Amino acid sequence: MERDNLLVFGVIIALVIAVAAPFIASSNPDGLESAFFGIFGAKEIHGTDLDEDAAGAAEEQVQEITGNTFSFEAPFPDYSIEGLSKMGEALAIVIGTILVLAIAFGLGKALSRPE
Amino acid sequence: MYICINKVLRMHIPDSFIPLLQAAVYWLVALVFIALSLRWARAEMREEKVPLVAVLTAGIFAIQAINVPIPWGTSGHMMGAALAAIVLGSPFAAVFVLTLVLIVQGVLFGDGGITVMGANIINMGVIGGFVGFSSYKGLNRVLKNPYPAAFAAAWLSLFVAALACAVEMALAGTFPLGLGLFSMGLYHAVIGVIEGALTAIALFLISSARPDILSRESGVTA
Repeated sequence: MERDNLLVFGVIIALVIAVAAPFIASSNPDGLESAFFGIFGAKEIHGTDLDEDAAGAAEEQVQEITGNTFSFEAPFPDYSIEGLSKMGEALAIVIGTILVLAIAFGLGKALSRPE
Repeated sequence: MYICINKVLRMHIPDSFIPLLQAAVYWLVALVFIALSLRWARAEMREEKVPLVAVLTAGIFAIQAINVPIPWGTSGHMMGAALAAIVLGSPFAAVFVLTLVLIVQGVLFGDGGITVMGANIINMGVIGGFVGFSSYKGLNRVLKNPYPAAFAAAWLSLFVAALACAVEMALAGTFPLGLGLFSMGLYHAVIGVIEGALTAIALFLISSARPDILSRESGVTA
C-alpha cells in the first residue's frame, strides 16, 4: 500500500470510529468513575446498579474533601452539542478528531527536521 | 438508567478529585515530560513521519470515545499510549500524542479536568508510554513475536497507569488506598484486555500494510 493511501485509510478509519462512537459506546460509568461510585456508596464494587441520588451526593462530597471547586464550561460538554442528540455527539467527536489531526500535523511540521 | 451519569463525569480524572496544590505538582512533573517529548520530536521526528504521527493521534482520540462495557456495570476504553510508543519507537512519542489528545478532550469537551490535566498526562502519557514501551521491548526479545508482546505490554501499561491513578487518589484523600487499588486494579485488569487486543491488532494492520513506516525500534520485521 502506498504511504499516502495508508494515511488516507487511517483518517477514514478514525472518522468512521468517531461517527460510530456515540451509537455503540457504553454509557456505564468507566473504571475510575465506577471505583469512585463504589467507594462513595453509590454502587457495589461488583454490582451493576447505580444509585443516582447517591452518585450526585458523592460528587459534592468529593469537592468538600479536596477543596478543588474549579469549574470550567467546555464548549461541547461530554461530546454533546446543545440541541442535537446522538448526531450532535457524532459531529462533536468528528470535529475533535479533525482538530486533533490538524494540531498534531501542524505541530509535527513545525518541530520535525526536514529531509 | 445511566443517562444522567453519562452527562456528569466521563472518564479521566475530573478537577474535583485532586486538591489544587497536588494538581499543580502533577502539572510541573508533566511539563518536564512534555518538554522532553518536544525535544524528542525535534531530534527524532523526521518530516516524512509527521502524517503518521498526526493520523495516529487522531485515531487514538477517536477510539478513546468508545467505551466498551465490562462486567460490574462498568465500561472502559483504549488508552493508546503503548501503541503510539511502539509504532513511533519512543515512550516520548506517547507523551507527545497523549498530551495533544488530553488537551483537546479537556478544553473542548470537558473530558478530564483542567487543573488535574497534569496528572492525566502523567498517568496515560508518561506511565502508559514508558511501561508500554519498555515492557514491549523486553517481551519481544523473550517471545520473539511482536503481537503477543504488544498485547501484554499494552495490558500492563493500562493496568499500571490505573494503579498509579489509585495512589494519586489516595494521596488526594479521595479514595482509601487499599480499596482504591483493588477496584481500579479489578476494572482495569479487564479493560486492559481491550487495550492489549486493539494494540496488537493495530500493530498487525500497520505492519501488514506498510512495514517500512514502523520505527525500527518497534522490532516488527517485514
